[in-house]
Amino acid sequence: MSKLVPLMQREWLQYRFGWMLMVLVPFAIALLLLAFGQIQIGPEHVDRVGEGLAPMLAMAAIAGSSGVMFAIASLSSLIIVSSIARRDHADRSIEFWLSLPTSHSASLGAPLLVHLLLVPAAALLLGLAGGLLVSMVLVGRVVGISAWFALPWGDLLPAVFSLFARLLAGLPLALLWLSPLILLVVLLAAWFRRWSWVILGVGFGLGGLLLDRVFGQPLLSQTTAALLLGAQQALISAGEGFQMGAAEGLEGLRNLPAWALHDFGLALGKLSSPLLAGALLFSAGCFALLVLWRQRGAGAAG
Amino acid sequence: MNADDNTMLVQAKGLSVRYGAKRAVDDVSFNIPKGRVVGLLGHNGAGKTTLMKALVGLATAEGELAVLGLNPRRQRVQLLEQACYIPDVAILPRWARVEDLITMMSALHPRFSAERARALLRRTSVGLSDKVKTLSKGMVVQAHLALIAAIDAKLMILDEPTLGLDVLSRKAFYEMLIDEWCDGERSVLISTHQVEEIESLLSDVLMLNEGKLVLSISLEDMERRFVGVSHDAAVAEQIAAAHPLLRYRTGTGPAGNAAIFDGAPPEHVQALGQRMRPSLVDLFVALTRKPELDRTHF
Repeated sequence: MSKLVPLMQREWLQYRFGWMLMVLVPFAIALLLLAFGQIQIGPEHVDRVGEGLAPMLAMAAIAGSSGVMFAIASLSSLIIVSSIARRDHADRSIEFWLSLPTSHSASLGAPLLVHLLLVPAAALLLGLAGGLLVSMVLVGRVVGISAWFALPWGDLLPAVFSLFARLLAGLPLALLWLSPLILLVVLLAAWFRRWSWVILGVGFGLGGLLLDRVFGQPLLSQTTAALLLGAQQALISAGEGFQMGAAEGLEGLRNLPAWALHDFGLALGKLSSPLLAGALLFSAGCFALLVLWRQRGAGAAG
Repeated sequence: MNADDNTMLVQAKGLSVRYGAKRAVDDVSFNIPKGRVVGLLGHNGAGKTTLMKALVGLATAEGELAVLGLNPRRQRVQLLEQACYIPDVAILPRWARVEDLITMMSALHPRFSAERARALLRRTSVGLSDKVKTLSKGMVVQAHLALIAAIDAKLMILDEPTLGLDVLSRKAFYEMLIDEWCDGERSVLISTHQVEEIESLLSDVLMLNEGKLVLSISLEDMERRFVGVSHDAAVAEQIAAAHPLLRYRTGTGPAGNAAIFDGAPPEHVQALGQRMRPSLVDLFVALTRKPELDRTHF
């Protein structure tokens, strides 16, 4: 455990500039577009929302920023993670890392933890913070900057934070659902390098098709679909999605914290699933094979 | 290299490492006590790197092996906390700055001194803010050596540590190693092909040939055991009749011949020439050469 933190710090040292760009570039583009571009909102929408326009715009900006940032971070993390086992072989520094007193499991576990959990979580947080700025520019352009300062923050902030907390709490749960798929990709990339995607494609595509069409067993596609659905529901909307009529305005937003809490409870409840138990066992097997691969690879270079 | 068990930093008995059907290290037994500088010599592919990997738990070995009293394979992390190791490829992560490496080593190695690393780096042309990818190969090696030498370890295992360094940097590194790192308690195991350069630093030598340990001896014992005789070409046949380990030329002209014997040759053979101390290189050739291979052509 004591080595996990320094190994996680390594990720920061290695990827800090990329991460900064990943955060700053989308925000810079969004702010430039909002500040200097044209914003058009149809009069029918303005009429429908009425006085709730400014809060709705602010909420949309904050939620949108968080969502976009989360999506970008998750995508870049998945790309990095897919080649995580071999990245130190690529720049031939693996010998250096192997000469340090760190266990193989910590060396593999730390980057997975950082890229799959901490980076998306930090992206959500930064998306929230940046979303406040984006909301200021958006509301300022559409309604006027004074409207942003006059927003009903007492209603808006609890709604924003509850949504943020729901996503943040759901993230580790979603990772549990996705772990067999992610670790399978990492494992295949470790063993088969660039052939991993071919093997994955053939395995899931042709294998699934063969099982389904020839043997009438759509097990593979059903399992994959169930895991993806489980991950989505763990992240948000485990039960009924949040419904808010346009006319409800602030009243609707006030219901968001209670809905988020209820939704998280449902997501927790879905964890008691035989499919997830099997998925976690499969993930543990994949991770053990990754550790074994690193252990064996260490000696094979000699 | 005989001493009490409690003074031994490395104890290997019947050690073998296989890669498939091939035995890279074959039934090797040796000990390394405290305070020794041990040279590990062998041709390319002799098993030096594999043996060193086994010593730090990066290769699975059969037989008995204890390094600092630990099982390297099962207790690799604890072992590497007390030992330092430079693998043969002195490659540092290209994305890192030298200061980043110091930060990471400080966090990952309990015996690493950042202050000492910075002091050692000041003696080189490597800057703390330099990115590894901007350094020359020699500078990367210098940075790596400074990082490793800043570890307060009991045992240093160096696999071709000065590969890529110029002669001045090699000399500076070996001087630092002997003057500042070796303190009579710590031991160094070092493999290199530049045998002449480190001969004066070594206290002991291990020679590997095709995975087998052909010699494990202190340099004092080596001088007592192996005898060289320089002689004229005219007596070459009489010398050859005494079955030396190696006959070779030491220079041009009829007097430029020498032979190495395991043990003192008979008096009448010694009388044919002049007794001399065989160099480590000559002894290495004598014990590891394969006459059927012509190593002057590739």
